[in-house]
Amino acid sequence: MASNAVTALPSRAAVRDPVLLLPVAVAAGLAVGWLGVHERAAGTRIAADLTLSWALVTASLIVLERPRWRRARWLLAAAPFALLGSDLEWASSHALWTVGFLLEGLWAAFLVQLVLTFPEGRPWSRPARIAVITAYTLTLGGQLVGGLATPDTRNLLQVTSHPSVADAIDRVQAIAGVGVALGVLFLVLQRLHALGRPARRAQAPLLLAAAITALTSVVWLSWVTATDARVPTLETIAHALAITIPVGIVVGIGWSRLRRPQASELVVELRSEAAATMRERLARALDDPTLDVAYRLGDGRYVDATGRPAELPQRPDRAVTAVTAGGEAIAALIHDPALLDEPALVESVRATAALVLENERLAAEVRSQLTEVRASRGRIVAAADAERRRIERNLHDGAQQRLVTLSVALGLEASRADSAAAAALSRAQDEVEQAIGELRELARGIHPTLLRDEGLTAAVEALARRAPLPVTVQGSLRDRLPDPVELAAYFVVSEALTNVVKHASASEASVRLERKAATLRVTVIDDGVGGARITPGSGLAGLRDRLEALDATLSIDSEQGRGTNVCAFISCGS
Amino acid sequence: MLIVDDHQPFRAVARELLESAGYLVTGEAADAAEALAAVAADAPDAVLLDVQLPDRDGFAVASAIAAANGPAVVLISSRDADDYGRRVVDCGARGFITKSKLSAAAVAALLE
Repeated sequence: MASNAVTALPSRAAVRDPVLLLPVAVAAGLAVGWLGVHERAAGTRIAADLTLSWALVTASLIVLERPRWRRARWLLAAAPFALLGSDLEWASSHALWTVGFLLEGLWAAFLVQLVLTFPEGRPWSRPARIAVITAYTLTLGGQLVGGLATPDTRNLLQVTSHPSVADAIDRVQAIAGVGVALGVLFLVLQRLHALGRPARRAQAPLLLAAAITALTSVVWLSWVTATDARVPTLETIAHALAITIPVGIVVGIGWSRLRRPQASELVVELRSEAAATMRERLARALDDPTLDVAYRLGDGRYVDATGRPAELPQRPDRAVTAVTAGGEAIAALIHDPALLDEPALVESVRATAALVLENERLAAEVRSQLTEVRASRGRIVAAADAERRRIERNLHDGAQQRLVTLSVALGLEASRADSAAAAALSRAQDEVEQAIGELRELARGIHPTLLRDEGLTAAVEALARRAPLPVTVQGSLRDRLPDPVELAAYFVVSEALTNVVKHASASEASVRLERKAATLRVTVIDDGVGGARITPGSGLAGLRDRLEALDATLSIDSEQGRGTNVCAFISCGS
Repeated sequence: MLIVDDHQPFRAVARELLESAGYLVTGEAADAAEALAAVAADAPDAVLLDVQLPDRDGFAVASAIAAANGPAVVLISSRDADDYGRRVVDCGARGFITKSKLSAAAVAALLE
């Protein structure tokens, strides 16, 4: 069994070994060359065809290093055999002539497909697909139909002798050929313009060669159409210029290899402490400005450098390369798929990047966690606010309601009772009134109804009116702000005024509300004794926590003897 | 006079208070819908209207009554007028009395 496998291996490998193409192509070329010489074909034409064939085969072998260009390789290998096959028209043998006639022009259709599906084997677009199909129809199909009517003693296909029909088919082929060549020219120039930088490096030479070849084909086929005769010299020139296509492919590969930075340079580049971000450095190293880096977190999610969630794209126009360290994915490079054609380059960048990306990943992870903490803090404050609102409502609907009823009832009884009882009832009513007043203050402090119903300006004006010292309110907000913003701003004013009343010995205070773009600025100033500080556990400290959950800041300027200035900047989030 | 309040004991005290002062209480309502129906059915001269009702708030009811050229409305609430800001003025009510200060004299003063 084992020996069977060993003996079977070489023959199967030999069949699949593309290097065998070269001797086969050389032998076929020599045979056709001998035929040309023997049948007195033009020497330049023989030379042009042999050079083009061998150049195409050589290019197909060089393309082997690009796994994604497999389809291109087969087209590059098939075209020379079609070309040599079509040269069999030089033969006097009926069978060889007929084969040559059938294959006439097919090599050009192969090259049209090669160019318009380069490099991945899919037509670039719908018009490209149509151009490819038209090229095959015109060549193979045209020759097959033409063969039925072409009068030639060697033509084995001929069923009828209609020289005019054969001529008409020739003309149609030539005119439509001009159309296809113009189409290819247009598509190639459009593609050249649209390619990303890494792809252009490898593909531009081929595209330029295709443009040149298409242009000469337009000239040649137009000439054929205009003069209604074959022009061997022009045909030879067109064949010779087609050599630029395999040359273009090889030049493209060589060019992108030359531009490839060495691994050692990459290490220096990537580890430099330049101000550029890791993304910029990687983009420069790979010469792909569209490159992005996504960092993988411990839980498998991906984030960008700022810690925001990032999606790995699953589109044909973006490729993803994983970066691993110690067998674990730590990041992903998102880049132009043309870079996949340079696996060695990507591999060396990947290996180098793994060394330096780990730090960046940790930083991104911390930022991501920070974002989450901030969000959860915001949710906690929002939950607490909802709870405050509920408590305020319960106080109002419950205890306060009953006390109010009791107060009115006591007042009613006092008005009907005799004077001694009335005095006692009135005192009781006063006590209840007091309790109601305190309860109302408590409820207001827990959650101000006016703020919810009427907005920040009205609520702050009410605070100012109730303060036991003159407080002016400046500025007014036209629009309502998000609930958490209004509540935070309200509590800033409320806490600051409470402190003014308790500690500042001020004669007056002022409140200012300003909105600039997406930021609300709240300022409370008094002319008191100053010296206020944020101490742990104080109302101001709690306020600062609430503000930080909103991405807001609180600052206090309170020099001894110079009054106090409390200022908050709150982002309104829109 | 129509009394609108969702707290039954308060309605009872208020009715007693108004009746002892010589007002005729035409009915009581516990929410906005009942209140508007009672205004249409009994055509009272005035409505004693709580701000906080289970379905819609008293301001909306006062506005609806004012829009229909209905009876005079006296708003009552266990909160201060200060807690409601401009809405007290804007809703078209005749006046506002904090509930604990409710007396026949206060009502009469507003309805004069």
